[in-house]
Amino acid sequence: MAVIKDAKKQPDLSLQVLTTAALMLPGLLSPVAHSAEGDEVDFQYSHYQEGKRNISTVATDLLIGSNSVAGIKSFNPIEVESLHGSAKISLTDRVKFAFNYTQDTWGGATPMTTAPAVFNTNFSLLAADGLTVVGATPYLRGEKPILLDSQKNPLLANIDPNTGENIYIKNNQLTHTISYASPETRKQGDFKLTYEWDEAAVSVGGGISLEDDYESRFGNIGGRWDLNQKQTTLNLDLSYTNSDTHAIVNHDAAVYYDRSAYELRGKIEKIKSLDNKEILHGNRQDWATHFGVTQIINKDALIGADVSYTRSTGYMANPYKAVNVVFIDPDKQFDPPPSGFQGSLQALAEQRPEVRNQWNLGGRYVQYINPLDAALHFDYHFSADDWGIQAHTFEADWVQPVGYGWTVTPRVRYYSQDAADFYTPWLTTQQGFNFNKDANGNAIVLPYDPSKLPTNFSSDQRLSGFGALSGGVTVTKQFTKGLSLETGFEYYTHQGGLKIGGGGEGAFSNYDYWVANAALKVDLAALSLNGGGNAHTGHQHHNHGVHAPAGVMFDHMLSKAGDFMVGYRYMYGSQGDPMLHDSNPVGDQAIVANGCSPNPCFLASDSMTMNMHMLDIMYAPTDWLTLMLMPQFMDMNMSMRRLDGAPSDDLAVNNVGNPIDPSTGTPFNIGQHIQHHIQNGHETGGIGDVSLYAMFKLFDNGMHHVHITPGFSAPTGDVDIQLQRNHKVEGGFIHYGMQLGSGTWDFKPSLTYTGHVDQFSWGVQANGTVRMEDQNKSGYALGDMFQATTWGSYNLTNWLTASVRGMYTLQGAIKGQFNGQINQYGPMDYPQNHGGKYWDVGFGLSAAVPSGDLAGNRVSVEWLQPVEDNVNGYQLERDGALSATWSYHF
Amino acid sequence: MKLTGLAAKMLLLTVGALLVGCTAVQPWERGNLAKPQMALDPYPLQNALRAHNYGSREAAAGGNAAQGGGCGCY
Repeated sequence: MAVIKDAKKQPDLSLQVLTTAALMLPGLLSPVAHSAEGDEVDFQYSHYQEGKRNISTVATDLLIGSNSVAGIKSFNPIEVESLHGSAKISLTDRVKFAFNYTQDTWGGATPMTTAPAVFNTNFSLLAADGLTVVGATPYLRGEKPILLDSQKNPLLANIDPNTGENIYIKNNQLTHTISYASPETRKQGDFKLTYEWDEAAVSVGGGISLEDDYESRFGNIGGRWDLNQKQTTLNLDLSYTNSDTHAIVNHDAAVYYDRSAYELRGKIEKIKSLDNKEILHGNRQDWATHFGVTQIINKDALIGADVSYTRSTGYMANPYKAVNVVFIDPDKQFDPPPSGFQGSLQALAEQRPEVRNQWNLGGRYVQYINPLDAALHFDYHFSADDWGIQAHTFEADWVQPVGYGWTVTPRVRYYSQDAADFYTPWLTTQQGFNFNKDANGNAIVLPYDPSKLPTNFSSDQRLSGFGALSGGVTVTKQFTKGLSLETGFEYYTHQGGLKIGGGGEGAFSNYDYWVANAALKVDLAALSLNGGGNAHTGHQHHNHGVHAPAGVMFDHMLSKAGDFMVGYRYMYGSQGDPMLHDSNPVGDQAIVANGCSPNPCFLASDSMTMNMHMLDIMYAPTDWLTLMLMPQFMDMNMSMRRLDGAPSDDLAVNNVGNPIDPSTGTPFNIGQHIQHHIQNGHETGGIGDVSLYAMFKLFDNGMHHVHITPGFSAPTGDVDIQLQRNHKVEGGFIHYGMQLGSGTWDFKPSLTYTGHVDQFSWGVQANGTVRMEDQNKSGYALGDMFQATTWGSYNLTNWLTASVRGMYTLQGAIKGQFNGQINQYGPMDYPQNHGGKYWDVGFGLSAAVPSGDLAGNRVSVEWLQPVEDNVNGYQLERDGALSATWSYHF
Repeated sequence: MKLTGLAAKMLLLTVGALLVGCTAVQPWERGNLAKPQMALDPYPLQNALRAHNYGSREAAAGGNAAQGGGCGCY
């Protein structure tokens, strides 16, 4: 930052440009750290959407009874919602700090195994008309007899309508067996600290990534060295990652695939108290090193080359993948096809080598195209490992500024890889498969002879031979004052046929996806260069001396036409034991009897947490009006417990009547899902409702200020999130409180009064939420809400303010109910157990940077402590809520 | 490992060729090189996201040192 500061003192524009250019070079030449590019705060949202996969099933013609292989589309393809926030700040002239936070929530259908289609591993589910396919349920052991010809080709059996005898049709069509996974969330935080000299830098970084079933911790060190008047830059990095898998074995799938190989090595933990919950444990470690050179070729081109090596050891398999193996038991050839075999289809948890060495070598070339002021980037990388995978990646993009701060960048990428040595879609083996378990159901020996199978096997399509072609465009707009918007779209297609040299996996494994993203970038360095932050060292004026607690929204307007504010607002709330009825703790017996009226309760939520990330973008077109746009992103999780004295799981019901099992003619036992609820916490996450507000100034005499804020929220958050299907029964809608939005257009008015004298400030606010529709697309509407709050603040110093606040909230119960199936196991699945009256007190601190480059930045936190809950029906007690805000006013 | 040697030789050759074939570019001649479109990675935010998407769908290692990224187990 030294150079920037110098540039500010020196008004000569050309010098400023030159020094900025010189300053940018190290950052430009360094793939290690973005932090050298300057102080910046970024927010990015992205949505990933996979296309429906082609899978196969066996269709039976009901009239003539003949079987044939039919293609269907998988349901609920994978979706991922991601949020990324990052900050890069210069702690001193030479010390830079960068922090990243990422979270993504994904859910949807994924391949679990691969098998010949004639085995019917995707059993199609039909609608009431008996014709329309509405879904597919995975049968890991196949639903049809496992028949092979003499060459071990799969056979489909049919009855000849003329002779009445069996006929066998060879069919080698393969299919993935698809299973749906309920949403889950990953969160990652990482940092990098860099010390810079004029011609070198060293950095140290680390981070952690957390998922329910995977935890990863990593650290890295790196160095940069500029040579030759910064025409050449060398980079060297070393990193270490340690990752633990602790995957919960799906209770439904558990009996259909074999994990004995892991169980016998002590990798499977069984928890009796949670209905024999099984957890597969594994650990892996990765050491990686990377060396890169960047060289300026001439004044319009530069080139980079790099090599990296990664050594990974430990458990590298995917705990949710299995390989289908046909066991041909010579002693059980009772009714094989002529000269063929009959077998039993098993699924074995996949096994991968415990060591992997990977090399990666590549380079990139960047050419300035003078007549168009554009830049062409070309990138090629080659990768090889000792699993037998060699891969090539080609990438090109064209960065084209088009004027008025707009830049358009089309890009294309092509990737091709060979299959791993141990990749196999499915296997056959000439031996029997016999479980040998003790009285507790623990494996004593493997149910097969492993010497007759490969040591390692995986049908994961990531390890198959394939090619992938993708293309997209990035559009950026640079606004004044260092604010820019970046949006991108990309389409990606994975196809066996696109592999270089041919021989890729069959079309059954093809799939595609698109991803769209939008980012808001606040360049703090550019703002301070423009004098943006410094111009507002007297920003107490802007806030009228009022620093409302972090949990209060719409507390202040921007006072000058043309002002901007970008803010980030985080809220955390948690609920836990005990369960309340009205204001009183209530025992399990009462919940069982009354919490789920007219049905009994089986479960209660044990804890629930919610995190909300909101972006707060304010703009004042005039001095009496401030507009505010607030997109939000949220995630929630809930754990559940079985209630003491609950009736048998078999008695559980849903809201639409338990469907009839066609094979038995009796209703499905939906109570089998209860075990999943106990063993697997529920998670949801993604974009919530986006709201827009207009704040009108009613009165302002410098000491007292009143404004009114009408606002609306749009139903952008999902209200139709479902749980995964298990035991042949749909998971149905997830709990009301775990959906991401209201689903209705909501009117959100508020009235705010603030005042200040000397070091004191205070405020009162009333706000409400009125649902403008009777029901959302899922059939219900959240209750209306009214909130009143008042606070007082005192400036402890010229940069630190403390606050205390009181708040009352009234929220109505849910109206209507889900218009589709919800498995009602506990109070949280019934509309009447939502809303209530709440009293809270809040304690807050707020700190502002009064001067210097970071002036205009403010950080506030507030803890809201519940004083009393008076809930509708039966609900968990609130533990409290934390609010934290950062805002930058310019 | 044979590949290791090959990689090292190729890298050495590339670097050598670069150093020989380059003209000296003085700092005041680097105006074009300093433009944002000439950054080695003009969109680090978006490219980190793309790399994460590719990384959990393809078997090849990324070119950079590990940055975390989770299991991608599905």
